[in-house]
Amino acid sequence: MVGEFEYLILSAAAHLGEDAYGAAMREVIETTGGRKCSLGALYITLDRLEAKGLVETWLSAPTQQRGGRAKRMVKVTGEGAREARKFYETVIRISRGTAWGDGRGNRLPEDAA
Amino acid sequence: MKGQLGIGGMRWRCVEEAAAVLLAPTDREVMLGDLAETECSVWRGLGDVVSLAARRQLDLWKGWRPWAASIGLALPASLFLMGWSVAASGSVAGFLGEPTQLGAVWFALSRLLLVTGWAWMAGFVVGSVSRGTLWASALACGTPCLHCLSLWPGHGLSFLRLLVFLLPGLYGVWSGRRELRLGLSLAAFLAAAGALAFLISGKGGWMYSSSLLWPGLYLTATAKRGSV
Repeated sequence: MVGEFEYLILSAAAHLGEDAYGAAMREVIETTGGRKCSLGALYITLDRLEAKGLVETWLSAPTQQRGGRAKRMVKVTGEGAREARKFYETVIRISRGTAWGDGRGNRLPEDAA
Repeated sequence: MKGQLGIGGMRWRCVEEAAAVLLAPTDREVMLGDLAETECSVWRGLGDVVSLAARRQLDLWKGWRPWAASIGLALPASLFLMGWSVAASGSVAGFLGEPTQLGAVWFALSRLLLVTGWAWMAGFVVGSVSRGTLWASALACGTPCLHCLSLWPGHGLSFLRLLVFLLPGLYGVWSGRRELRLGLSLAAFLAAAGALAFLISGKGGWMYSSSLLWPGLYLTATAKRGSV
């Protein structure tokens, strides 16, 4: 099963669709995921995901917007989508009965206050 | 998108570009492009570049190649070849003192050829086994040389004498980075010459000897079959 950061990258790439590349994915992870993301960590994780066959990457044509430099485009494969779904369903299943899931378990201290 | 950068900002962007030299060409292209279109600070950009370079290096060190090239070959080979360079250059000096002695000519030339061949072979293996961590191999080779030069300045060991093995070694590294593999005949010849050099010196234990013999065996094992 994929890890948490791998899941964030898969989700960001799926969310962006055909516009998924390093800088755009970092922005999605930081704004939606609410956490800092270094490009170094992102590219190393992309390499790992590509080695596992969960994403495909390729270089785009250079664009003026980037000083004439190419983008590393990313596409989630069918296997990548299945792995991301597995992670998502596991998180949903294990969260049932908790205060942060459906709220039937132990209450959070903030809720009690 | 980034706004217009002032002269100071552009100067700092140059720092990012300079740091990006640490990256492979594809990584550099993609990373600098990403940084050019995001609004992060120069420090963060610099952190991104350095973190990718550091992670790439760490990834390399998870394999056996950098360890074999630096600790397993560059370090023991530099110790071995330093002694051989001093001996070979001493033989040449002796021959130049008495140029009529045919035995001295043969002795000097054979030593010189062995050192040159062995250094080239070791350099070739270092260059082909771990191209991404040459800095570590250079450090492993250069540290004993500098240490010995500082210990015995002008007493038999001079920088010029070290060049006897450093120059062919560097040429070997350059060749190894380009070629990766040798033809079988040349590899077998170099392996035999390497073994001969070790047998003649006859120093060190089995650990030392295996660290000196493996480059020749590696070249033979990975040689291009059916080619010279």
